[in-house]
Amino acid sequence: MPFKPHDPIPRKDKISVDYLVDKLKERVNIKIESCAAENCSTDKFITEADLHRPGLALAGYIDLFTYQRIQIVGNTETQFLSHMGDDKQLESFRNLTQFDIPVIFLTDGNELPEPLLEEARKAGIPVFSTPLETTRFMYLLRDFMEDQFAVQTMVHGSMMDVYGIGILVAGRSGIGKSEVALDLVERGHRLVADDVVMLTKKNNVLMSSATEMSKHFMEIRGLGIVDVMSMFGIRSIRYQKRLEVVLELTLWDEAQEVERTGLNHDSVNILDLDIPLIHLPITPGKNITVIAEVIAMNYLLKHYGYDPAKAFQERIKTSIGDKAKGGDMTPKRAIEYFEGDIE
Amino acid sequence: MIKEKVTIKNSAGLHARPSAQLVKLASKFKSDFYIHSYGYRVNGKSILGVMTLAAESGAELELELEGPDEEEALKAIKEAIENKFGMDEE
Repeated sequence: MPFKPHDPIPRKDKISVDYLVDKLKERVNIKIESCAAENCSTDKFITEADLHRPGLALAGYIDLFTYQRIQIVGNTETQFLSHMGDDKQLESFRNLTQFDIPVIFLTDGNELPEPLLEEARKAGIPVFSTPLETTRFMYLLRDFMEDQFAVQTMVHGSMMDVYGIGILVAGRSGIGKSEVALDLVERGHRLVADDVVMLTKKNNVLMSSATEMSKHFMEIRGLGIVDVMSMFGIRSIRYQKRLEVVLELTLWDEAQEVERTGLNHDSVNILDLDIPLIHLPITPGKNITVIAEVIAMNYLLKHYGYDPAKAFQERIKTSIGDKAKGGDMTPKRAIEYFEGDIE
Repeated sequence: MIKEKVTIKNSAGLHARPSAQLVKLASKFKSDFYIHSYGYRVNGKSILGVMTLAAESGAELELELEGPDEEEALKAIKEAIENKFGMDEE
């Protein structure tokens, strides 16, 4: 069975405004204060990661108003409102409150006049304010929302951090993925997840983690369940790691073609991202652990601009070129002159 | 590929022992075996995978089988679930 990821599952369909504000305070360390209708925030839900600035809606154009998004009222909107007379202001603000808006955030320490807040209270729309600048707040909020609504998928395999490179050891049941992972842990590498790996796409990167249930447990066939963190200590585990390479173990099959140069790169598509895929047939006497380390080091080398397969290719081309120019045809030693090896 | 929904009958749910029974049984067959539940999709031949579901009594699981012996495998697995994995509740 070739390695293939499962169908994507959205992480969440909706989050409550209450939850959002709590997490923003706690996890993202943003100062947020309630201005109006805080009691409504448990019943208000956000279903989209995108944000919206309701400038045009305030000006009266509501045909394409994406009211279901989080509404950000910054300097522009506040100044626009304050330039109007009191009654006009209220009329303009009603353009917003007639819709079922989940939440309004006032950024950069901006405030709304009391009649407008009263209007929001009547409509049951929670209003919060933050001293953070609009662009900065939107950036942080957008990042948080992206994570909340990220697409996820589950794959079967062992996720490891090897020299800082995230390698997913895949292959069919019983082929020895967990054993490779255990061997890697023993050599000082870190386990992210065994058997059930959750992949989340965030900022065009695939992040992997274990599930809440199975984190840092491992099944070794014949032994049963072992707890890697208790056994090998805190340095043997990681909570999250970017997935960079998929290593698929297969049983050796004479007919199967295996990559011999490293010039051709295979990849697997997971959540619309192409991840390098290496097929590794296992044979007696082959140390998969060491190969996993070599894969990680090779990946690092390539990352730093050195591709051994390409370097070798260049060397061959130069040699062929030399010969064509009538150069020396005899086999050449790696060293020109042997000095005496006297000990 | 065949899919079928089943309901867990064991009153204590799919805890470690019944999970082990299920995984052992599934591993006897060549077909790939996945279980869908609450947005999870886990390999039914992996004990950690099955235990991750923490399927309670009455939980609905969707079994997905693909391979040369999928029909037999599904029949055997369904039977085992019906029979509460031969376990009277502890």
